[in-house]
Amino acid sequence: MTVEYVDAGEAVDQGRLSGKVAGGEVAPPVVRDVDYERIRNARSEPQNWLTYYGAYDGQRYSPLDQINTENVKRLAPAWVFQAGVSGFIAGASTYSFEAAPIVVDGIMFLSGWDGWVWALDAKTGIEIWRYKHAVPFDVSLCCGNVNRGVAVAQNKVFFVTANAHVLALDATTGKRVWDKTYGDVRAGESATVAPLVVKNMVIVGSSGGEFGVRGHLDAFDLETGEHQWRCYTVPKPGEPGSETWPSDGEAWARGGANCWITGTFDPETNLLYVGTGNPAPDFDGGVREGDNLYTDSIIAVDVDAGQIRWHYQCTPHDLWDYDSIGECILFESDGRKLLGHFDKNGYFFVLDRTNGSLVRITPFVDRITWGAITRDGQVTPKVYPDEEGVPVHFYPGPAGAKEWTHAAYSPRTELFYVPVQDVGATATRRRREFKESIPYWGAGVQVDIEEAVGYVSAFDAAGDEKWRWRNELPMCASVLATGGDLVFAGEPSGEFNALHARTGEQLWQFQCGSGHHSSPTTYQVDGRQYVAVPVGWGGWAEGFLPGMLGAGHGSALIVFALPETT
Amino acid sequence: MTTTQERADLLEQLGLNAQNKAALGQVLGTGRIGRATEEADGRMTATIRIRPDEIAWDPSILVMPHGGDIELTLINDDLNTHCALLPSNGDRKFIWLVNHSKGKATLNLDGPGYYWFSSPTGNDEGRGLTGAIVVLGDVPPEARLDRPDQPRP
Repeated sequence: MTVEYVDAGEAVDQGRLSGKVAGGEVAPPVVRDVDYERIRNARSEPQNWLTYYGAYDGQRYSPLDQINTENVKRLAPAWVFQAGVSGFIAGASTYSFEAAPIVVDGIMFLSGWDGWVWALDAKTGIEIWRYKHAVPFDVSLCCGNVNRGVAVAQNKVFFVTANAHVLALDATTGKRVWDKTYGDVRAGESATVAPLVVKNMVIVGSSGGEFGVRGHLDAFDLETGEHQWRCYTVPKPGEPGSETWPSDGEAWARGGANCWITGTFDPETNLLYVGTGNPAPDFDGGVREGDNLYTDSIIAVDVDAGQIRWHYQCTPHDLWDYDSIGECILFESDGRKLLGHFDKNGYFFVLDRTNGSLVRITPFVDRITWGAITRDGQVTPKVYPDEEGVPVHFYPGPAGAKEWTHAAYSPRTELFYVPVQDVGATATRRRREFKESIPYWGAGVQVDIEEAVGYVSAFDAAGDEKWRWRNELPMCASVLATGGDLVFAGEPSGEFNALHARTGEQLWQFQCGSGHHSSPTTYQVDGRQYVAVPVGWGGWAEGFLPGMLGAGHGSALIVFALPETT
Repeated sequence: MTTTQERADLLEQLGLNAQNKAALGQVLGTGRIGRATEEADGRMTATIRIRPDEIAWDPSILVMPHGGDIELTLINDDLNTHCALLPSNGDRKFIWLVNHSKGKATLNLDGPGYYWFSSPTGNDEGRGLTGAIVVLGDVPPEARLDRPDQPRP
């Protein structure tokens, strides 16, 4: 006799099994009126953190001053969001919580690793909705299962996935509005960048520089997802800059120069300022003779045309993996429109952002042995892996004197605050044949475990170091500057610090239970200022701090505030 | 070396394809492989079972011809209770599968690549109730790099 099956019904969204209160899964329409003008004037609404850097200028500065040098010692956790991990995820050993939380009128939008996006109540930490993109387990991660954040505008939340999609979600429900593929995972492309909304476009860059791809920026229409333009960062034969690649062969086609960090934007010049990544193969320059434009460069891209207007190359013919993806901080000094950029190669560049001319170069890390750059910008390589099988040691290592994580600039103090990694590495050239989807480094590389130290330094625009706060480990997380004259800086070992912005004195510390590799932000709800920091050690740790490869991975967003007065 | 032996024979000989023989559970990726069916309208379907006392998905590797929507029929023929947590764009899909039950799951997946699914209950995950969905195909032409065809492994 046949027994009928029990009807198990239809599989449901896992998020329905998360203790949500009925009706609580819809966010208020706070993003409906966020548009280009509001983002352009983001600093006029300091209660919000509207865009990746807080404002287009990349300063990672908030005028909020409720938390200040006098009272920061009373700062304490207000709430914690524990994301956790269930089931198998791609790159389980390398996931890391790297986002910069976005906040609009009391609602926080946050991305995690492995395709997660959440909307949270920014006052209580309660999850409103979640979106989970299915990320293929076998996607080529470059480098780690990470995501750096979302963008918001016109009732949409924009983010990218590890398999190189860019999506628009409905900001009230988290449901998908449009989904476009902008990279080829079979070629080793992926995506980790936080998108940037400019005018009617959302702008994203590609990852994959360790896999021999050709870097590009893409712009999509906010409403429809229609592709607006693509800007390749390695020229084809015959295009300007192609003379910096071998005239025979296809080195250019595998040249790298990925834009895997969000650019900054000046509405007056109408230029995006974007740092480009390393050339490929990273350490074997013999197969790509020449300067290899536009790798390791700051490029200024006309945001309407998607074309490069000027460039400044920080490390021509790179042999050390010195991406120039670090942020370009826009500021004014003596009436000039300038741009400050801390490069992986250990130098602080100040450029005129109207034309790319060099204003000043200053080293910002103690140990630089790969080569030297003179004050007028002349680059002299000294130590590099040019002989097959011969180990070469150099400072800084391939993660750079500053990794992708961001510096900040306070217009109150007129100081830049930079997290520094003072660590070297040994590379041994090992030439290999290029094949799509296979890592293409051209060397074996080991980053130093001993003698790895760090600090947060404050520099003025003239390149003078005003103070230094030293740490026994490299500083691998973005810093945040506030109107309370505070600089927040997280450590790999879990401590979250508040430093005095004028002296570097440590004023407060909290042990978060896992290392920091993210971008803290600050906001205000109902008159109370909060500081939010995603905590979750991981990512490409073998590159920037292999001495902590064995540290546990957290996955919490911790939000701090002063005690409420009664 | 026994590398020339047929894989299935060697799995059987070593006891890697069953519960409590060589290992405690069935080793990842050692189950049967199946293809999804593509209907005339492009919709894809497949059936995945849990057979009695195997604590494994059958097939444990399901192959989709391309990305898109797939409707799975999930059948638990076992004498124990299991569940399924499946990848899908938007949110993962969860279904409880009591003894001798049958349910459905509709998934949306990008291609190419592969995804894991499992039965995340206290007794199951790691014993063999972890499977894979493989999606074949390429990204759309407009997403590919403007460069000459490159060598692949």
